[in-house]
Amino acid sequence: MKRTGGLLLLGLCAVVLVALPFTSSNYIIRLATFAAMYVALAASWNVIGGMAGYPSFATAAFFGLGAYGAGVVLSKTGTFLVLGWLCGGVAAALFALLVGPAILRLRGHYFAVASLVTAVVLREIINSATNLTGGGMGLNLPPRISDVDLLARQYYAVMVLLAVGAVGAGVLVSRAKIGWALRCIEQNEDAAVVLGIDTLYYKTAAFALSGLIAGITGAVYATWIGYIDPTDVFEDILSVKPIVMVLIGGLGTLYAPVVGALCFLLLEELVWRNILSFHAGVLGLLIVALLVFLPGGLKDLATRLPWARRSPAGEAVRS
Amino acid sequence: MLALQILVNGILLGGIYASIAGGFSLVWGVLNVINILHGSFVVLGAYMAFFAYTLLGIHPYLFVPIAALLLFAIGLAVQYAIVNRVIDAPVLVSLTLTFGLTLFLDNVMLNAFKADFRKVNLRPPLGIIDVSDYLPAIDIIVPVDRLASMAFAILLVALLYWLLRRTSIGRAIVAVRMDRYAASLMGVDTRIIFAVTFGIGAAMAGAAGALLSPIFPISPLASTAYLGKAFVICILGGLGSVTGVLVGGVALGVLESFGAYIFGPEHSLTLSFTLLILLLIFRPTGLLGKRGFI
Amino acid sequence: MRDRTHAWMRLGQVLSLAIALLAFGPLSRSLAQAQTGPIRVGAPLPLTGPLSPEGIKLQQGYEIWKDEVNAAGGINVGGTKRPVEIVYYDYQSATPKAVQLAEKLVTDDKVDFMFSPFGSGATKAASTVAEKYQIPTLAPTASSVEVYDQGYKYLFGTFTPNDTLSEPLTELIRAKMPNAKKVAILARNDLYPLAIGVEFEKSAKKRGFDVVYFEKYAINTLDHASALTEIRNTKADWIVATGYTNDMILVRKQMADLGIKAQAITMINAPAYQEFIDATGPLSENVTSAGWWHPAARYKSKDIFGSTERYTELFQKKFKYVPDYTAATGSAVGVLLQMAIERAGTTDRVKVRDALAAGGYDTFFGPLSFTPAGQAISYVPPIFQIQDGKTIVVAPDAVKSGDLKLGVR
Repeated sequence: MKRTGGLLLLGLCAVVLVALPFTSSNYIIRLATFAAMYVALAASWNVIGGMAGYPSFATAAFFGLGAYGAGVVLSKTGTFLVLGWLCGGVAAALFALLVGPAILRLRGHYFAVASLVTAVVLREIINSATNLTGGGMGLNLPPRISDVDLLARQYYAVMVLLAVGAVGAGVLVSRAKIGWALRCIEQNEDAAVVLGIDTLYYKTAAFALSGLIAGITGAVYATWIGYIDPTDVFEDILSVKPIVMVLIGGLGTLYAPVVGALCFLLLEELVWRNILSFHAGVLGLLIVALLVFLPGGLKDLATRLPWARRSPAGEAVRS
Repeated sequence: MLALQILVNGILLGGIYASIAGGFSLVWGVLNVINILHGSFVVLGAYMAFFAYTLLGIHPYLFVPIAALLLFAIGLAVQYAIVNRVIDAPVLVSLTLTFGLTLFLDNVMLNAFKADFRKVNLRPPLGIIDVSDYLPAIDIIVPVDRLASMAFAILLVALLYWLLRRTSIGRAIVAVRMDRYAASLMGVDTRIIFAVTFGIGAAMAGAAGALLSPIFPISPLASTAYLGKAFVICILGGLGSVTGVLVGGVALGVLESFGAYIFGPEHSLTLSFTLLILLLIFRPTGLLGKRGFI
Repeated sequence: MRDRTHAWMRLGQVLSLAIALLAFGPLSRSLAQAQTGPIRVGAPLPLTGPLSPEGIKLQQGYEIWKDEVNAAGGINVGGTKRPVEIVYYDYQSATPKAVQLAEKLVTDDKVDFMFSPFGSGATKAASTVAEKYQIPTLAPTASSVEVYDQGYKYLFGTFTPNDTLSEPLTELIRAKMPNAKKVAILARNDLYPLAIGVEFEKSAKKRGFDVVYFEKYAINTLDHASALTEIRNTKADWIVATGYTNDMILVRKQMADLGIKAQAITMINAPAYQEFIDATGPLSENVTSAGWWHPAARYKSKDIFGSTERYTELFQKKFKYVPDYTAATGSAVGVLLQMAIERAGTTDRVKVRDALAAGGYDTFFGPLSFTPAGQAISYVPPIFQIQDGKTIVVAPDAVKSGDLKLGVR
């Protein structure tokens, strides 16, 4: 039952994903591309934040570095797009490998602050490296296809693949030894050390994987939007959004990034569409309400709703 | 002489920075909550001072205690009604929660006060002290309003120090800071203490806002910049150490001033944030190297 | 555990349904309202975030034009009057969001024309979308030449290039203080302020000034004391600072804090705004600046406002302050669009585009004609100075209301 249900759900999702580009306007496709991007970012954060329990605010740093890595490589050499995207991802992963061992020694707030500040430092550095990055003038990355409809669908496909890959990577990690190690670290890091786990090694690996995914996402984003500037791609809120998404989905599950990102996007879009100049305030209130009333995210809601109480096999009904 | 002037600039700037960071450090230390809302509280205090001056003619310095009281009430309410509910949740939750509150408060201020930049223009202006008028050999200029802010910052920190040391509520706060579980076993109502501490943090922010209303342009958009400074100062001065914010503030002010002078104004921000990361890694207890409880 | 999984599945199903609805929903939208309904104009604006002061002014500019047109029955399209409808979205001062919105406005809201987002950077980024869909787009606030040299045919801007500000202002300063040698420039490291700083450097060097100091400061800088201490040390005769209003308020205050006395201080663009004068008080005295429009201008126009005077009066009545050039250019793109549609006699995009390109529009903002690239080049931006708390136009001669004064307190 559980298995067929899951497969059915997966199949339905696949149908919707494939049908979308053939049936929808460019704007809806753009929205769906954003949804996929959010899923990828949330899944990237989940590796370090969810599994290892390290409150990382480095997503913006990885994203921005990926965007600029790809942007600079592509605008200077004009090589293949895919190669540019990989360069962006690798740049972010290398950065994570470099910085990770230093800041992953910190815990709790200290780590949160250090990771948050890396984005600020990178932004300023890229802003002042005018020769390479264009500085505050931004970087233009003209699209390589002139057909608008095709372009929208191409990026939709790439972003969806990226999201699937990111979630898949999460599943693989959680099943491998590293997943076990990360869970140990999440529950009690000192005990993990006693168990003989090389915690720094696994944490750094998780951080680098998180960086790789967010970096590639940033790189794809850069070529998709066609224009990046330091304030946009290193924005603080880029670090906060994935966290909120995972919290919406429910911390500690593999599906949280998907469910959370989709819910967040719907919410954001609804609020923003209907309220012209107070949408940020309403979004803020929603975040507060979520954390206060639903600390476990939708996972909790799902078990609390009336129809959820009936167990699938029609066994005992909890009251 | 240029270097001396830059040193003076830095110390005076540091005084203002210290006033911004005091409450933030207290809340972080006692509640173990990074209060992202702090920058917005500073801005709110500045707006209150602005309207008090332009509408009622109350001098911003006289308004400092009023701003502190008003924000104390707001802070107390916010903590008691909202933040207390997540006080035992992981770091992530309280951080994200206060981030949500900031989105809300900043947006409210944007709609209520409009985006126009404002500033208190003291009439008559406080002016400057040209040291060379008294000591011809020393060509240094000191703006009086910054000097006053510095004095107020020191006064505020001293007041807080006294409060924590000499009053029963202060000692309860310190007790909770040291060990919240032991304190609650001793009969301290931690919920109340948390709310009062958060209120004091907000009061300090409000006071800082009033102090800087004649110095910086006031706008809802400024909150993140103030918050960023508070972060760095807390790390520099040692987390949760109230006296440490004076050291941290002045250190940051001097560092930024010389950073801008030596590397160019473009890089002074980068420099201070890089230093923050390095300190976190190599000396997380701050420049003084003590884990302060007060 | 089991019922939890089940609940998850249900949730997933509801979600996929929602996505499916979102995906297939728009198909049912009809395209009927084309020829008789209102003319729809898309306007992505930075109503929140760092650019919100400018975004709000721009919106006021659009609104006053729209109200005026609709009060008169609408735009005359080949004999039938059609009202104007402006579709606003807030892009939160984030350029990518502006690009995304431009696409939404075209494909989802089906607008006929567009007003581009604020500033050169966002305009350049969003112009790609407009060009792809061939929507005539009017840029109210893009001055950098790089925005227009992309070979696009559907983009038209009301701002003349940056050097049309720096050149005449430098010329004027040179004439007024022929013996001055040193100029110091402090520019915000950001697209437009940096570009204009560089233009001033060029203009100053061309006229024999010695640029003794040129530095950039980072966005979000809270302290300019070090830079200003150095500038004070150079004993510059003329100080040029560029940035947004908050930066300029702080820079001006800190100049006074350090007792800097230069012959002339130029700030771009803050002094055009009343809030700068209010926030700096007496310190604003004799600060010079330049902008693309000023209410002191006396253009007689063939647009719906009739003249600069009447426009200023209407605006002041409605919004309770004297309009600055950001608000005015918002109204200017409105009247420009209206005149082009009326001249073309149709809302056909290509014909309206051709009408725009032909130029020769007399507006309250000034006479508007465009370079082949689409940038306005047909008027001389005014240079002004704050004297006794009021902005006085000191050049060009046609609109001037006072003389340039030297000395800054």
